[in-house]
Amino acid sequence: MPKKKSSRRRKPVSGQKTRRKAVQPRKKRISRSKPKTGWRRYFTWRYLLLGAVVFTLAWVIYLDIVIRVQFEGKRWALPAQVYGRPLELYAGSPLTPQAFRQELEQLGYRYAYRVSEPGTFYQKGSEFRLYRRAFHFWDGAAPAQLLDVRFGEDVVERVLDPASGEELDIVRLEPPRVGGIYPTHREDRVLVKLEAVPPLLPAGLVAVEDRDFYEHHGVAPRAIARAMLANLKAGATVQGGSTLTQQLVKNFFLSNQRSLWRKANEAVMAVLLEWHYNKDEILEAYLNEIYLGQEKSRAIHGFGLASHFYFDRPIQNLSLPQIATLIALVRGPSYYDPDRHPKRLRKRRDLILSIMAEQGVITPAQASQAKLSGLGVARGQGGDTRYPAFMDLVRRQLQRDYRPEDLTSEGLRIFTTFDPRVQQAAEQAIRRRVQLLDLQRGLQGQLQGAAIVTDTTSGEVLAVVGDRQPRYAGFNRVLDAQRQVGSLIKPAVYLAALEQPDRYTLATPLNDTPIRLQAPDGTVWSPDNYDGESHGTVPLYYALVHSYNQATVRLGMDLGFERIADTLQRLGATREIPPYPSMLLGAVGFTPYEVAGLYQSLASGGFHSPLRVIREVMTAEGERLRRFPLEVQQVVDPAHVTVLVSALHEVTQSGTARSLQQLLPAGLSVAGKTGTTNDLRDSWFAGFSGEHLAVVWLGRDDNQPIGLTGSSGALTVWADILAHIPTRPLSAPVADKVSYHWIDRSSGLLSGEACDNAISLAFVEGSAPTEQATCRAAAAPSTMDRTVNWFKQLFSQ
Amino acid sequence: MMTQKIHGLLLGAGLLLLAGCSITPTQPEGFEVEPAAPDQPQIRPDPQTSKAALALLGKARAAAQEGNLTVAEAQLERAVRIEPQNAVLWHYMAKLRLHQGQLSQAAGLAAKSNSLDRDNMQLQADNWRIIAHVRYQKGDKAGAQAAQRRAEELLK
Repeated sequence: MPKKKSSRRRKPVSGQKTRRKAVQPRKKRISRSKPKTGWRRYFTWRYLLLGAVVFTLAWVIYLDIVIRVQFEGKRWALPAQVYGRPLELYAGSPLTPQAFRQELEQLGYRYAYRVSEPGTFYQKGSEFRLYRRAFHFWDGAAPAQLLDVRFGEDVVERVLDPASGEELDIVRLEPPRVGGIYPTHREDRVLVKLEAVPPLLPAGLVAVEDRDFYEHHGVAPRAIARAMLANLKAGATVQGGSTLTQQLVKNFFLSNQRSLWRKANEAVMAVLLEWHYNKDEILEAYLNEIYLGQEKSRAIHGFGLASHFYFDRPIQNLSLPQIATLIALVRGPSYYDPDRHPKRLRKRRDLILSIMAEQGVITPAQASQAKLSGLGVARGQGGDTRYPAFMDLVRRQLQRDYRPEDLTSEGLRIFTTFDPRVQQAAEQAIRRRVQLLDLQRGLQGQLQGAAIVTDTTSGEVLAVVGDRQPRYAGFNRVLDAQRQVGSLIKPAVYLAALEQPDRYTLATPLNDTPIRLQAPDGTVWSPDNYDGESHGTVPLYYALVHSYNQATVRLGMDLGFERIADTLQRLGATREIPPYPSMLLGAVGFTPYEVAGLYQSLASGGFHSPLRVIREVMTAEGERLRRFPLEVQQVVDPAHVTVLVSALHEVTQSGTARSLQQLLPAGLSVAGKTGTTNDLRDSWFAGFSGEHLAVVWLGRDDNQPIGLTGSSGALTVWADILAHIPTRPLSAPVADKVSYHWIDRSSGLLSGEACDNAISLAFVEGSAPTEQATCRAAAAPSTMDRTVNWFKQLFSQ
Repeated sequence: MMTQKIHGLLLGAGLLLLAGCSITPTQPEGFEVEPAAPDQPQIRPDPQTSKAALALLGKARAAAQEGNLTVAEAQLERAVRIEPQNAVLWHYMAKLRLHQGQLSQAAGLAAKSNSLDRDNMQLQADNWRIIAHVRYQKGDKAGAQAAQRRAEELLK
């Protein structure tokens, strides 16, 4: 036998040898004797074989690691619960009975004549009785509590404990739930548990996509054969041979590459998955992972989200035809797109209903009945939140401040600064105004908008709207639309000047005359004013209030880019400021979020607080994880900010934003700045009251002109927001070293309260003009001191 | 090195306030940031402070006494949200940050407190002391001295 074996071996070796002739150098062949060659070949083969086995093993181990990491990484646990701010109730809190009732209803409180269990309330005029639910706040648990709340005019008058009749100093309602997120995952998903989905869905999936699912070990050769047969019979691809497990693996590594190598890898990984996990785990992952659609850059993964996305309802409420439609989409969400190919999709849905009946999942009668209904696609925005732009911000701050492994704890509770009332005002303002302006300007639905509202003192973000359809979870313009800011940058230029009170005050004369600047490459830049005219010598405040470009560029060139960039950076700009003259007029891109960060420092009197959206994080069990405290740094001398703000207030009185006086409630004094970019491509308004800062941007995503200035566009949205939230008027600052003087509007010289054309402006002490203007009125000019007159002016509106 | 001596918690008349601390650097080198003043009067809340804010101050104090400074911090922030113009509340926050060793934040909050007040000289002086202490700890001796002088001038 061994002899035979060796002779058998020899033959191919010699055959091999002849083949080698052509490639091997001669001397090597000479030095090799026949038996030696045989042994070597034998070992070579053995090593090759061994190598192949080792390689295959290593490869399988590698695939095993890859697929397990994928699977574990996407195993869906409880989402983190995100809460808004709790409503604080105390004597004097600014709240109307209507707003209170709305808050209660949003919290799911039920109206009841007998308030006897937590979660019920009763209202009689301006008096409420409610049974507050127990809630585990970050700083401690609060028990359920019976409360009487009495309202005065737009404020809470008293909060009482009905049992004792005692007045309560301060009580919190439980915070509203804003949504659920998976902090470590970028996508928004609505995760479903297998036991919580309608049983027809998994049963239908198995019937249609993989009827041997519960028998096979990841791959099913029989299914492949059957599919081929079915497809041949139908003359088209009606069935696939991939198991659900293979499809799941394919989804983990979405790629269009369809090579044999890839298929083989997927098959191996499918087998490995089946080895590690049971069928239910795999099916649940499939339900949550499978790709079911696309909207612009947003991929729709999982049946939970798809259910919201296509039918605007939670998965539990899907009807049989809707379930069949979603199963139909598995095969190709784009090929069966309900908008573009409704007939195609319906045909496939009906086929699926037939298969389900054929497999005994449903009765034939159910199938025929279901086939009668239309597709009934009713697009919702999807996602487990009504506030996608805000949640996007929450997710990003979590990812910035936490390591991913710290966020894996199940069911984290995240307490945020979200204020539903402010959000509602911002959404309504954007929705209404953008639609109106779009129609007026004939923009055919192209006009977009974004708004962010913060608390001036703390930098807490109260509301974020990233789209004209606020529920739409697409491009978040507040965070991602980086657009030229135009004149919004001017306050920084003027502040850089006012920080040198010995050189510049609000009354310093500036030249608003044509200016030509030549760049090193020879190009000439000569900015015009918006009205196309030059206005000669004007006081500094006047140039800011009327947003004169030529005066601003001249001032900026005097100051130097470095100084202005430094001011911007202190205010909170993190972006590189380009040292070009056009920067002085806002030829620099910021997002609305960044603009809010800059203006925050002005609104809070020179103190920068980073915009903050998360207050606290707690585990599901109530363990305190982390608190993000209020941070405050003085970045500009409060006196200099006070001076600037007195001019920004004047912008809303006599300047580019004077139309605010018609749009805002009487007595609500504010400060702000309009921004308009070249060819009317962007319309901005940034401004603040004593309590709220809001930044609004309007424009088109393709950056085409919109025919709106800052004041004809964004300002109107801004006014709508501020008019619909309870907010404090701008308060007269008490900064040291500042005094208020009456100044002649046009000359910038000292005037008097009773004089014609006089305006009260702030000056750093000792820097006010001394020269007297001619006073046209009867009263003698007088220098008024400090806040008194500014106050008068502020509150007499 | 953080070398501050925390003097526990003071009891306000009828109202329990946040911790008062006196700061005694151990490396005086001929210059003491803060004169030894263990009996330094604790700043009281303005009489116009609302009951709600006072109640939160009480909660903050209780939490601080239990050594739960982050909960105290949360209560103070609630109070500041209700009365953002109340300089005394900001002053308490500054003191709390100092306890927590958050020097820059303490100075920022003290400056914020001062920006909201014009009349309470004791408050402003205390804020300047906090700023002096922070500057000293950060090695800015000249700045610390200047701040200390501001504090002294205010109390003249």
